[in-house]
Formats: sequence, structure tokens, C-alpha cells
Amino acid sequence: MTVLPFLLVATIAGTTALLIRGSQRWSTAVAVGGLGGMAVLAAGFGPTTGVRIAGTTLAASDWLRLFALLGSIVGLLLVAVDAATKHEPDVPGIIVLGLGSAVLALALTDPGTAVAAATAGGLAGILVAAPVGAAARAVFVGVRELRALAIAGALAIGATAWIGRPFGELGIAPAVFGLAYLAFALAVAIRFGAIPFHLWAARLADAAPGVALPLLMAWGPAAFAAIALVWIDRSVAPLGLPLDTERSILATIGALSVVLGLVAAWIQDDLEHVVGYTIAADAGFVVLALAGLDPAVWAPSRTWLLVFVVGRSAFAAWVVALHGAFGTRRLLELAGWARRAPVLAVALAVGAVAAVGWPGLVAWQARADLARLALPDVVATLVAWAPLGATAIYARILWIGLQPPGPAVRTGVGERPAWPIRWRHRPMVGVAGLERLLERLAHAFGGVLDQLWALPAAARLNRVPLASIAALVLAGLAFAISGGGFGVSAAAGAVPAIETPTDNGPGFQPVPGPSAGPPASARPTAAPTFTFVPIGGSPASSPGSTGSGPDGSGPSGSAITGD
Amino acid sequence: MNPALAALAAITIGGAVLAVAGHDPRAVLLGILVVLLGGPLVADPWPDPVAILVRIAATLLAVRLVAIGLRGEALTGGTRIGWPAEALVAAAAAVVGFGSHGLGAPALGPPEAQATGFALIALAIAPLATGRDTLRLAVGALLLLVGAGSVRIALDAPPSQAEHLVGALLTIAIGGAIAVLATAARAAGGLAAVGAGRPGESRPRPPDAHRPPARRTRAGAGAGAGAGAGAPILEPAPREGRSGGDRGRVGDRPGERPERQ
Repeated sequence: MTVLPFLLVATIAGTTALLIRGSQRWSTAVAVGGLGGMAVLAAGFGPTTGVRIAGTTLAASDWLRLFALLGSIVGLLLVAVDAATKHEPDVPGIIVLGLGSAVLALALTDPGTAVAAATAGGLAGILVAAPVGAAARAVFVGVRELRALAIAGALAIGATAWIGRPFGELGIAPAVFGLAYLAFALAVAIRFGAIPFHLWAARLADAAPGVALPLLMAWGPAAFAAIALVWIDRSVAPLGLPLDTERSILATIGALSVVLGLVAAWIQDDLEHVVGYTIAADAGFVVLALAGLDPAVWAPSRTWLLVFVVGRSAFAAWVVALHGAFGTRRLLELAGWARRAPVLAVALAVGAVAAVGWPGLVAWQARADLARLALPDVVATLVAWAPLGATAIYARILWIGLQPPGPAVRTGVGERPAWPIRWRHRPMVGVAGLERLLERLAHAFGGVLDQLWALPAAARLNRVPLASIAALVLAGLAFAISGGGFGVSAAAGAVPAIETPTDNGPGFQPVPGPSAGPPASARPTAAPTFTFVPIGGSPASSPGSTGSGPDGSGPSGSAITGD
Repeated sequence: MNPALAALAAITIGGAVLAVAGHDPRAVLLGILVVLLGGPLVADPWPDPVAILVRIAATLLAVRLVAIGLRGEALTGGTRIGWPAEALVAAAAAVVGFGSHGLGAPALGPPEAQATGFALIALAIAPLATGRDTLRLAVGALLLLVGAGSVRIALDAPPSQAEHLVGALLTIAIGGAIAVLATAARAAGGLAAVGAGRPGESRPRPPDAHRPPARRTRAGAGAGAGAGAGAPILEPAPREGRSGGDRGRVGDRPGERPERQ
């Protein structure tokens, strides 16, 4: 199956959910239905399928399938947590549309177009970052986000156009490629809010709903970063140019983000800010991946992207569930939360283990590889082990939760489940055995019906337990992904082979193969001769092939499969 | 030089000057309309008719969204140095862009597009860096993205239909974003409200800028103690509109039981 049905469902469901957001129940129902459908459709993505549309190819891949599937499931759980707690009217629709735009960007085979799609998806997030009715400062936050998105988008569009054409003699100047490389990588850092570009992102937690933070700060930027990784892998890395200065700048930004992000998260009192800074810290490893400029960075970077987005989504959902239960996100007011919300305590512990990991775990190994490929050995070791410091953050939160309950927690609502009605005892009037048997059956049937009628009320009555369970499921999902579940490692290193119908019936579209040599744009040729592979495309390390033209023509060494 | 493209570029740059310098929201809207319509058309070869139609439709929708966000607004910040100065900045940048077409290497697009792109980017810098007005800042962001798109047209191969389609989506998205920001700013006190809470401002920054939730927690609403184990957990806030929200539903208050019929 191609990505087209997925995109259609995302567009229809997201737009509808936004249009009817005044009716919260219907909006949520449409979003839930859409996300459920998207999950089913994403599971059916064929890794070799592509579809020609409007002069370009929308290509699926194993990694894109996993990204879309996990995004749909995570979105579903986030909407569930939102519906059970604060219920922000714009969030369900924005989650659906944001995920759709991310998948569209990842499916496009042209980098400039993909960047535009990813930027458009980010702009949709402003609806939740600066909602009508929020404080004036929320507008300031929204404007800052718009500015960051515009700058990042402009840098990336300029970079992709800059080296997407023949250069002639200028092609031998490393500075040309270095500037383009640096521009796109900085655009990614800006989108993620990596330190020192973190001010807009840090303030985002002041205004945007907690449940939307993963979309605004992780899923959307992750799609943007995936585009950058493929573009760099195809256009810059094969040149083997001495871009040490650019790499040093990026490696410094990445390492600083990892370390300072964790420090900033440690000193925060507001849990949404803790989420924001841990996202900035994890995003540091993505920036390190951009600094790698090595084919070996391919698999760990794409593994880490999936681990990162699911893990941070789980943490954000946990914070929203806790906020919904006790009405505050401030740690100092949350003393004793774990005593009244043990499921959330377990979710935090599971999420913490997934986020920190241990040597040998897939997530840990991916981080270590990214640090090793971008940094000197000593610094790489320090940065790779830095996430252990996050243990202190989670331990602090848990320690506060084990204290005697404070006023907010005492007056808040715990997780103990409740049921709105009791089982009614009906008097028996039958005399004979058969008569009494039939009466008992009728009573049992009536009692079950009574309970079924009470299900909606029970759902409203158990919002905190339901939100806690959703947060726990998300934490479990994060743990599974960190451990390499769902075939993360295989999908991250998958080689694409795209099958597309042609005018003459079923056929195969030549796919740009993994480039081993310099892109043709570096050579004084007359036409643009290297282009993009699908975002879920192949590493540049595969030998024996060169790039191909934008229409898929030209030398190609890619694998092409068919019936 | 292609005279038609040069004229289109001049009109587009004129629209951008109007957008950043105008104090009347209607003038700013007109400027945005001209920029969004003209930017993609400064290309050689021209986009095909379908792509042009898609761009026009997206532009009209985006401008309509912005118009909704600005409805009733009498005055915006505009420029402080006057439109002639902005026009000179744009003209200078356009000359630089035209003269440096290809940036030292053969380019696949027309030089007029690069002139347009440079002018738009130059005009975007001041609003983005120093703007205190929501609309002005947002117009700066719009010009930056459209300008980058024009530079891309100048350097690279002509955009495909898909690129025009995604560009149209981007146009709608940025129009919607501007509309949302303008509406939120006006609800919060006016387009200049973006200055509130800026770093360095003497007033203390409020701890939370979230919109009040549609449903308040008992603890958050200060509803008092007594929500013990098994008690209903969240109360709906009063909602405006027709339906009245979830108020009065079973399960929203402690100890409430649904009545069987």
C-alpha cells in the first residue's frame, strides 16, 4: 500500500476535527477514528511501493512505515490522555494534521519540497502554541515559534537549492558545500530548540498544551531532521570534503545541548519545562548525527529519532496525566503524588528506564555511536554517559512523590477506580425451580445492561485512572522501542526499493542508488545530476553506485524489486 | 533580462514594501496578496496553468484567513523609517540579487527571481529582528519564506507540480498562522500585545501563559477537599456556546449516581 490513503485520511480527519473543535466530543471522536485508521494504513505501507503524483514520487520505506505507525499510536494515546484530563479543543486535530504533514515530508523524494511540507506542518502547530484566550505572553511565544520556523525553513530551502544544481568551477570549493551543510544543520538545531537556539522552545512550554509538546518539539522537528540526514548523506557526505570547522560547530552545539539540556531540566520546577529541556537534551544527539558526516551514522541516527520521539511523548503524556489528577505541574506542590497515583509512578519508572537505558541497549548504543562519530573520544564518552544524569531528574520527581502528600495532592484525585452504580439486588418471586432459573437469568441480563448503560459515566468517573493507564502504555511503548522492539534497528538500516506503476502498466521506477562517489553537481557537468532518495532511503555507504537525475534517470545502482 | 519577469518582480517587491511599511491593515493585506501571488510567478518557464490556479486559490484562502484575523483592526505597527527607506532597502537588495545571479555558478532559474528573493529577505530582516507588532513580525516571517522560495526558483530547476502543491499548502499554513496569532493578540489586548512579557521588561513574567483549560481539576479550581478515593475527578468549566458542555453529566460530581428509568 502507498502512503496516499494515509495522507488522505490524515487530511480529512485533521481538518474535520479542527473545524468541529467547538464540539469537543465529536472533534475527539473524529481524531481518534482518524488516528486509528492511520495506524492501520501505516501498518500496510509496502517498503517497495511508490506512487507518482504531480510529477514527483511519494515513496514508502520500512522506516517511514514505523514512523507513521508509531506516530499514529502515540497520537492516539496522547489524544486519549488529553480527553481524559484537560481537553484542549485544538489538540486532536493538530496532532492528526501534524503527523500527516510529517509523513508527507518524509515520503517526498525532493528535499526542497520535503522541507516546505515539514515547515507547513510546523506552522499548523502555532494554533495550539498561541491559542485564542491565552495570556498575552502566549502570543509572544507563538510569534517566536513562527520566527524560528520561518528562519529554519528559509535556511533549509536555501541550502537544498544551493547545491541542487551544477556548480562548474565553484564546485571544487569546499566552502560552498560547507555553508549549505551548516545552514541546513543549523536549521534542524533551530527547529529542535537545541541550545543555544532554545529560547523559543523553552518558552513554548509556557503556552502550548503539554500534550501538544511532543508534536511541536519532537515529531515535527524529527521529520525535518530526517530530511536533513538524507540530504547530507546524499549530497555532502559522499564528497569527503574537509568540513572540520562546520562539523566542530555542530558537534559543539550537539554536545552542549545534551549536557546543558539535562542541567536545565534538573533545575526546573515546572514539569512541562522539564519535558521541554529533556527534549532539547535528546535533540542534541540528533545534531551530533548531523555532525557525523559518516555513512555509519545512518542507522543509529534513524534509530535514535524513533527512540527519542516516542520516549519524549511518553514523558509528556505522563506530565499531562499528573497535571490532570492534581491540578498543578509544579514539583514543589506535588509532594506525595506517587502515593495517590501508583500507576503513574510505575509509568515514570518505566519511562525513565527507557529514556536512560544501559550499555548494550539499542537506544544507548545508538547514542554512543552518534557521539563517537562526531566527537573526540574523551568527550564522546562523557556525552554518551551524560544521559545517566537524567536518572537524577526522574529520581527527584519520584522522591517528591513519595513524600507525605501536600495540599494539592490531598485535594486532587487519585487513581482508585470507581463505578457509578451498584449491582442492584432484585427480589425473587418465583416458586418453581425453572421459574426461578429464568428469573435469575433475566435479573443477570438486566444487571449487565445496567452496567453497560453506566459505561460512559464510568469513563468520566475514572478519568485519572484511564489517563494513567494511557501514560503507562506509552511508557511501555517507549521501553519497547528503546530495546529495539518493532524492528527498529532493521527499519533504520533498511535499503529501499521502490515500485511504481508506469504508463505502460506495472513497472518499476529507477531509484537513486546509494552514492559512493562525489555527487555530480561537484563535477562541471551541464545538468543537475544528483538528487534525493526517499527519506526512508539508503545509506551512502553502499558501494558500487552513483546518484541519478531528478527524474530517476541516469546512473543508478539501487536495488529495484518487482513481481 | 526578461521585461515581463522584471515587471512581475518589481510588482512583487512593491507589494512586499507595502506589507512591511503599511499602517493600515488593508494595505498590509494587499501587500501580502501581491507577494504571495507574484512570488511564484517570477519564474522561467512559467508554472503550468494548474499550478498557477493552485497557487492563486491558496493565496486567496491565506489572505482571507489573515483578513478574518484582522477584521476591525484600525492600525498596525508598520515601519518607523517610512516606506521610501524600505523601498530603497528592497531596491538595493534586488540589485545585489540580480547582479549575483547564481552566486558564482551557473543557475537554472531567472535572475529576476533571485532579485525578488533577495529583496524580500532584506525586507524581512527588520520586522523579524526588531518587530514589536504581531502582524509586522508575522509579515516578516512570510516574506522570509517567500523570499527563500524565490531564491530557490532562481538557483535550481523549475519547480514541479508537486512542489507548487506543497508550496500552496505552505502558503495556507502561514496565512492560518498569521490569522491565529493576530486573533490571539487582539484577544489579549491588541496586535502590540506581543511586547508583553518580553525578556527585560520590568514587569514580572507571569508563571503560566496557558489558556484556561476547558475542564478544571478540583484541585486546580480550588474546589476544596473531600474528593476522596473513587470520587469523580474533574469538573467541566463553564462553557460558552449553545450546548452548555458537560455540565450536569453523571460522574462529574462526587457521589452522583445515574437514575435508572
